Amino acid sequence: MKNKFVNILVPLISVLLAFVVGCIVMAVLGANPFVALQALWTGAFGSMRNVGTTLARATPLIFTGLCACFAYRCGVFNLGGEGQFIIGAVVCCFIATRSGLEGPLAIVLCLIAGALAGGLWAAIPGVLKIYRGQNEMIISIMLNYVATLFMGVVYTNWLRDGTVPQTAPVPDATKLSRLFGLRVTTAFILALVTGLLIYYFLFYTSKGFQLRAVGLNMTAAQFNGFAVKRYILMSFIVSGAIAGLGGSADLMGTQYRLINGYASGYGFDGVAMALIGQLHPLATILVAIFFAVLRVGSTTMQAATGVPTSVSDIIQALVIVFTVAGLAMVKLPQFKAAIARMTEKKEAV
Amino acid sequence: MKKIFALILTLAMVLSLAACGGGNSGSGTSGDGGSTPPADGSGDGKTYKVAMICDSSVSDGGWGMACYNAMIDAAAKYGWETAYSDSIAQSAYYESIVSFCDLDYDLIYAPGNQYTDAILQAAEEYPDIAFALLNGGADTPAKAANANVTSLLPDAQQVGWIAGILAGLMTETGKVAFIGGMEIDTTKGKYAGFVESAEYIGQQEGKTVEALDVVYSGDFSASDKGIEFAKAMMDQGADVFFGDASAVDSGARQAIDEANAAAGSVKVYDIAQPGDFLGQNECIIGSQVTDNSGLVGLCMEAVENGTFGGETIFGTMQNGVLSAGAVSDLVPADKQEKYQSYLDQVMDGTFMQ
Amino acid sequence: MDSAFITNLILASVRMATPLIFLSLAELYSQRAGLVHIGLEGLAAIGSLAGFLVSLITGNPLLGVLAGAAVGILVNMIYAYATINLCAEQIVYGMAINIFAPALAAFIYRVYFGAGSELVQVGLMTTLSGLLGIASDNFLVRLLLDQTPMVYLAYSLVIFTAVYFNKTKSGLNYKAVGEYPKAAATLGISVVGVKYAASVICGALAGIGGAYLTTCYSTTYTDGNVAGRGFIALAAVIFGRWSAGGVLLACLFFGFCDALQIRLQVGSYGIPYQFFQMIPYIATVVVLTVIGMKKAGPKGVGKPYLREER
Repeated sequence: MKNKFVNILVPLISVLLAFVVGCIVMAVLGANPFVALQALWTGAFGSMRNVGTTLARATPLIFTGLCACFAYRCGVFNLGGEGQFIIGAVVCCFIATRSGLEGPLAIVLCLIAGALAGGLWAAIPGVLKIYRGQNEMIISIMLNYVATLFMGVVYTNWLRDGTVPQTAPVPDATKLSRLFGLRVTTAFILALVTGLLIYYFLFYTSKGFQLRAVGLNMTAAQFNGFAVKRYILMSFIVSGAIAGLGGSADLMGTQYRLINGYASGYGFDGVAMALIGQLHPLATILVAIFFAVLRVGSTTMQAATGVPTSVSDIIQALVIVFTVAGLAMVKLPQFKAAIARMTEKKEAV
Repeated sequence: MKKIFALILTLAMVLSLAACGGGNSGSGTSGDGGSTPPADGSGDGKTYKVAMICDSSVSDGGWGMACYNAMIDAAAKYGWETAYSDSIAQSAYYESIVSFCDLDYDLIYAPGNQYTDAILQAAEEYPDIAFALLNGGADTPAKAANANVTSLLPDAQQVGWIAGILAGLMTETGKVAFIGGMEIDTTKGKYAGFVESAEYIGQQEGKTVEALDVVYSGDFSASDKGIEFAKAMMDQGADVFFGDASAVDSGARQAIDEANAAAGSVKVYDIAQPGDFLGQNECIIGSQVTDNSGLVGLCMEAVENGTFGGETIFGTMQNGVLSAGAVSDLVPADKQEKYQSYLDQVMDGTFMQ
Repeated sequence: MDSAFITNLILASVRMATPLIFLSLAELYSQRAGLVHIGLEGLAAIGSLAGFLVSLITGNPLLGVLAGAAVGILVNMIYAYATINLCAEQIVYGMAINIFAPALAAFIYRVYFGAGSELVQVGLMTTLSGLLGIASDNFLVRLLLDQTPMVYLAYSLVIFTAVYFNKTKSGLNYKAVGEYPKAAATLGISVVGVKYAASVICGALAGIGGAYLTTCYSTTYTDGNVAGRGFIALAAVIFGRWSAGGVLLACLFFGFCDALQIRLQVGSYGIPYQFFQMIPYIATVVVLTVIGMKKAGPKGVGKPYLREER
């Protein structure tokens, strides 16, 4: 109980600290920090439309966050969420713009194909880890670059539409429907459902338990007769499929076409969300929404105060820096001992 | 205790950095548009506001800088306030635009075709705000539901001609080179214009001129790629360079300067764009100049008069948006004369006819 | 495929490999102490800015390199404190550095030069042949003498590192910290001390690697000029089997791929250029797959070290 309280308190304090630093920087630059904070709030929640924009922004982050979360639960570092997300979106784009299919059937087909493609792309580092003992981080990072460049080939050559390097948009009938006419679409619902399913799988099924056991202690799991290799491969494929599904849903939900710079940074963002969410799928979703608030809000903040864009990047980095350090600190034995001493003293008094 | 220490450390670092910079340039950030005096004091007392969004930095010494300064110059002329958001990620285009819309900006200025989707979306939601898309598609304004989008389109072929004529006159090896950033149609158009004019000039002057295949750096900030591309292309015999790749161009010029220094004399040349950059590097023999501020100014005028929207404004030599910058002494007087006469042909519409 | 093509390709490979060598050695020193660091991209970015600014202000590129090293160390102390003392997750901290440091660099550049500033160019370090006054088109002269002092420093560091880790007691102790920190501690080695030393070396080398870009390679600073070299360095360490010699070969190989990629693009229009740009990344995956993982890296890498658990 106390643990949970600390786990929520630490991120809150960290965010506060990051903003204190950010406000000081802004004040030094001659901008009014209160105007800035107010703009941040208005930007994220000022109107129903802004709320819709924020949730739309959160959607891809939720998917890549869940992707990282699932793999980490099995003890493997999938840093390739970005590449898997992109491959999912690329395959989705092919089907949506070239298959001739439109409407619900095309949507379902795109989602399935996107998930499959993401899963296959993630299987590469998985297979190489199991059979060739490769470091999955390196392979997945390298494959991010390959996926990004491949997407480049697709939008500058193969599926190029007209004068600029970008593909045609997905047909109107294949676009995911908006919720309440806002920018947020059913992709957000899909993200939430995915999160719930993962939560259920990890904590309420025996396979999920075994997967977590592999993640906690691979040697012990092997000793207990769990098929460790199979779990590792499975966790890669499923985590890639989550990212691929996200890419597909995001393409049909908000982005509509492939373009230079698409999905840049989503993978690493996802890893940060998962770790701040302490590898809990539902917490990861909340963290992703929080970061979307921060991003949408800080865009308005930047516009309202005129401080350089890098200030909001610095604030976001500090949120991660402080939260991860804080969460690590409260897990330290010394810290736990100090807390215990303090509570003892109180009881003694 | 340890945590406090870490915090103080970070704070001290950020503060000292901010402080040392703050004193240096008071005008570092925008938003201080209030100090811009209304130039002609016309109008009804309303101060109009323009905001620019850009995916590269406005201090990149290349495209971002040129587009930003175009806005600043135009704003100074018409007495507008300015603001900008730069280095924004692709996923934040729409949000950045909408942020300025919510702050009641009168004109949103987006220099690049990549913002088209985001601009059209925002233009639909904010019918009273004017949106100007530099290098936008000719057909984009027609797609805007509220007719509040204008495309500003410098003529890429003429841009290529202005550089290609000079390249054709100046090449000794008969090989000219072009370094592109992204494979966008304006870049392709510039390359095509560059190639056809250089080859044409070669025929006129009784020599063979051919252009190496276009190369693309894939991004606009990799000055090191510019260095390597220029070296590789010089190995292939290229001796006049033109490019459309922002900071990558500066890398190419650096490599050309180094090669010239090693050879002891300036034998390889570069033609700059989009501003007049003569003197920035030794190898620059001339510039193709695009007066984007004129285009932005036209938009401001239209907004003030309530006539904005729904059109594509082309930038050509004829309407003064495109021109040739000053030419270096490295270009012999007779070639300078020829250059001018060919430029006059472009002006008359008789070039390559 | 004439000889000029090949000699120029070799020269370009060496040119492009040098910053990678500094960054890979930074990663090697960090990993040998059990700290996997994916934040080199960020350290190099801030180092590159510091190198640029200081050599612009003082007119001395060597001071720029020193400044790059100092700033690299400073920023890396955030990583060191969090991962060593607080036992925070190394991967996510490296990433935090990757977001924080480039943003800080962009911020400082903007505040210092202002928006819409003209292109600022800085003088580069003179090469040895420039110092000696030798000008020759001879391939060997260009390869061996027409290099900045930083290139010689990079190769000397490779030799030093190889000797240090294999032939000295201190080096073996250092490696022990990365392999079995608890065993090392029982031998009286200060695990935390070594890890901090590793972070100082890593920060300095990564900062130098970044500063190399703006003091020896390119005359300008642009945001994002590190362009993925930090991640390539990470691959080079694994590719090079955590040994200095292997890392050097890996860096030269990546430099070669990059140089070849550029030359292939110049020669053949028609194939989408992205395929050429993929070469270094695909080569990494393929080569790693083919050679397999006979010798794994330091066993303690990525794991936190809790003193109380001794």
